[in-house]
Amino acid sequence: MRDLWLGLPVLAQDLLLLLALLLPLGLIGLAVLRGFAPAPLVRAMLWRFRWANALFVLLIAVSVGLGIGLLAQERGLRAGTAQAADKFDMIVSAPGSEITMMMAAVYLQPTSVPLVPGDTYAEIADHPSVRIAAPLAFGDSHDGAPIVGTTAPFVAHLSDGALDGRAFGAEGEAVIGARVPLALGARLEPAHGTGDAAEHGAHEGTEFTVVGRMAPLGNPWDNAILVPVESVWATHGLASGHAPDSPTQLGPPFDARYFPGTPAIVVKADSLAATYGLRSQFDQRADTMAFFPGTVLTRLYTVMGDVRQAMSVMAVVTQGLVALSVMVGLMILTRLFRRNMALLRALGAPGRFVFATVWSYAATLLVSGAVLGLAVGQVATLVLSRVVSARTDIAIAAPLGWPEIHAAAGFTSLAAALALLPALTVLRQPIIAGLRA
Amino acid sequence: MALALSVSDLRVVAAGGRTLLDIPALDLPPGAALGIRGPSGAGKTTFLHAVAGLIDRSAGRIAWGDTDLAALSAGARARFRAGNVGMIFQDFLLFDELTALDNAAIPALFAPRGRRAGLREAARANLARLGLTDPVRDVSTFSGGERQRVSVARALANRPAIVLADEPTAALHREAADRLIADLVSVARDGNRTLVAVSHDPRLLDAMDRVLTIEDGRPAERQAA
Ligand SMILES: Nc1ncnc2c1ncn2[C@@H]1O[C@H](COP(=O)(O)OP(=O)(O)OP(=O)(O)O)[C@@H](O)[C@H]1O
Ligand SMILES: [Mg+2]
Repeated sequence: MRDLWLGLPVLAQDLLLLLALLLPLGLIGLAVLRGFAPAPLVRAMLWRFRWANALFVLLIAVSVGLGIGLLAQERGLRAGTAQAADKFDMIVSAPGSEITMMMAAVYLQPTSVPLVPGDTYAEIADHPSVRIAAPLAFGDSHDGAPIVGTTAPFVAHLSDGALDGRAFGAEGEAVIGARVPLALGARLEPAHGTGDAAEHGAHEGTEFTVVGRMAPLGNPWDNAILVPVESVWATHGLASGHAPDSPTQLGPPFDARYFPGTPAIVVKADSLAATYGLRSQFDQRADTMAFFPGTVLTRLYTVMGDVRQAMSVMAVVTQGLVALSVMVGLMILTRLFRRNMALLRALGAPGRFVFATVWSYAATLLVSGAVLGLAVGQVATLVLSRVVSARTDIAIAAPLGWPEIHAAAGFTSLAAALALLPALTVLRQPIIAGLRA
Repeated sequence: MALALSVSDLRVVAAGGRTLLDIPALDLPPGAALGIRGPSGAGKTTFLHAVAGLIDRSAGRIAWGDTDLAALSAGARARFRAGNVGMIFQDFLLFDELTALDNAAIPALFAPRGRRAGLREAARANLARLGLTDPVRDVSTFSGGERQRVSVARALANRPAIVLADEPTAALHREAADRLIADLVSVARDGNRTLVAVSHDPRLLDAMDRVLTIEDGRPAERQAA
């Protein structure tokens, strides 16, 4: 049975789950409405108290919408951060916090960290299975965009070759991220430091010319200016990474004796097995650590998962309270129709008909609320994604997916069951009391 | 088709123990029109509810033809009403949001599928007969007299053998009330229906075959017969 289920295409699974979640709604509806046509009365009831009803639907929509919006957002955030780290198979750095290192190297939130010296860099770069070993150099910025020193092969790897223009080929050339508001050919002068602390004019005389622009990556590198690492070192009066007799050389191989050090090395190896091998080799040393950003993220998500679980509990409690107030509201609303319902029964309508009428009324409000809630959720995730993307530069796409549709469907079925309650109370009121009301 | 009413030892006691109604015996031949009068709070509405089978806790016998409502379950009484009783109220109790026709055809909504179209046709014919020529207008735009006639059409939709009316003219001005009385009497006569009407309106009571006065839940000493 389990194998059968797992053997189904994902879409089929999602559709079947949706149907299963809607099944109670369908069954209740079928059982309640069988043989009756209360639609005109339900329409009249909806119309009579349209403002109260609309408010009611809105209340449900907002609570459902926020719930599924957060659900989608959280999923989008995971996908977005994971996608942003995609190009960073492994990072080698001086021992310390992996998360701090990851934030610096992948998400460009640098803090001062100890540097990896030249001989260690050479050891990694010279390893037979290493394809790319890119040093990084942080510290400068231009107009809020961080300037990152690195190598041309890493630019090619990062951009997957999707480059408008070309990679830098000489000192003084720069490749910019998709969102840097500069044109090809533009010239820029680096400021020392980043953010508000940036010092303009500290690097007087240094200038970069934009020679290439990367296609959007969906991560903070979209906002970065990539220059030869040698240029950054030179700007700060450090060694160039190459022996003095080859002053024009750019990029690897570097000469360990003239290597000023790098906070992190982004490593790309030939194979997954080689990557694991490298990790165990460099992670078990006193002077380096090596980690997979993807694994760090997974661990982070696990921690977040606990928080998320706590949040889910709170969300469930809140939803429960909303459901409760919805129930009370429905009881009050249905009291407004007491005389009408008593009239129907005085005319000889079977109890089940009156029950069906009240249930249809309540279920219409609840289902409309859930459907509208999907729309509210969509808008909520859109707004949240924008805000989070703007603050982190991580592209987050959080469209409503199956989990949210399932959640809304589940809520609808639950609501349909809850709507039985007010219908039942109406039925339990004596007819004559209703007529005299 | 017409049904006789035979009530004996009918007692309705309120939850608090107070006797709201105590009718030792009342017999009405099929197709007759009975008027009920009495001071406010005397139990007239309670009587009407009792003969409609709306009161769950009533002792004695309330027989329409061979059917003793007091012996039936609530569901069976509802079925009896759906098949045999038409009810009219002082304040009409219409759905303002619906058209005259939809209001008059409400019994079709819970009738067996096969009878729905017939009920709707009957409702349309009743409206026409009562002079309501615009059946697709919302009843909220109708005058009081017209609304009460819509409610009469609704009461007649199931072609009932019994018509029960509680102060049907109380909310109407004289002219509309007179017209309604004429309509009520003629639909009862023509359909050979048994009519029970609670009213303070002397003109309505005059049009009845017989008038019963209820005081403090009991029939007053024989007056009109
Ligand atoms: N559920 C109840 N519990 C206790 N007393 C009740 C209940 N329902 C009605 N009564 C009382 O029964 C009495 C008869 O009520 P009923 O409505 O039958 O009077 P009525 O003759 O129709 O009066 P009116 O002319 O004002 O309509 C009243 O005193 C009323 O207060
Ligand atoms: Mg009364």
